[in-house]
Amino acid sequence: MFGWGNCWSVPVCLHGICPGILFSMIMSFSSISTVSYIDELGHHDDNARLAPTMENTYQMGPYKRFPANAATDILKDVLTSYLQEEKYEVEWSQKMTKTLCEVIRARVKELMIPRYKIVILVHIGQLTGQSMQISSRCLWDTSNDTFASHFFKNSSLFGVASVYAIYFE
Amino acid sequence: MDYQIEEEAGFVVEDVSKIIKESVEATIGGNAYQHNRVNQWTTSIVEQCLSQLSKLGKPYKYILTCVIMQKNGAGMQTASTCFWDNSTDGSCAVRWENKSVYCIVSVFGLAI
Repeated sequence: MFGWGNCWSVPVCLHGICPGILFSMIMSFSSISTVSYIDELGHHDDNARLAPTMENTYQMGPYKRFPANAATDILKDVLTSYLQEEKYEVEWSQKMTKTLCEVIRARVKELMIPRYKIVILVHIGQLTGQSMQISSRCLWDTSNDTFASHFFKNSSLFGVASVYAIYFE
Repeated sequence: MDYQIEEEAGFVVEDVSKIIKESVEATIGGNAYQHNRVNQWTTSIVEQCLSQLSKLGKPYKYILTCVIMQKNGAGMQTASTCFWDNSTDGSCAVRWENKSVYCIVSVFGLAI
């Protein structure tokens, strides 16, 4: 979930634990599923219709492509510097995922690639011998859109960060 | 120039979360965590969701992420942040669990 505002940049919200978020829980006899999203979306229908209609720029593609290599370096740098010597703790890791998200977003924005929308995902988890799998798929334009990701591990925790860059046509 | 179609209401969270839940139930259902099948599960969940989402026919690009984790007492936190257009783009995260598996699926929809 994300905090909603009236600007392009969106503050970070931690999955599952934020005030003002609607949860709907459905229990069946062997599984539970929870959906998290921002309740305010229901009140912002006007916003959807008032989305600014952009004038046609007749631009066929991005003048400057999103540099996936530079993004990977940023992710590597941020994850290593923030997580190197840390131990997994619940409170700390909640704050750290949010912080990492914001730091990465600020640094990617510094790259100043015009007309690209950015989505950043950070996972921090404890290492206790469990097994897990993270995968992602995208429905996008392969010639313009791209992503970068990096995995970091130390003795007690792991961190995965991904950046997706989508060209705004 | 693009013309606005009245029926579109942007990113509709309910429809998307329904699609995700059905897909996760159908793939993992009552199964226990099996390391050799997990790869297949994540791929199948994500691909099913993506094909259902594209059938919605909206002018959106989608990013889907699926995390499947074995229940072992370990903790995990996930956060995401986006730089996009609030009025047209949206996201939804669905957290599903059964006795031995946690599954978190996040969908981000970005308007073209």
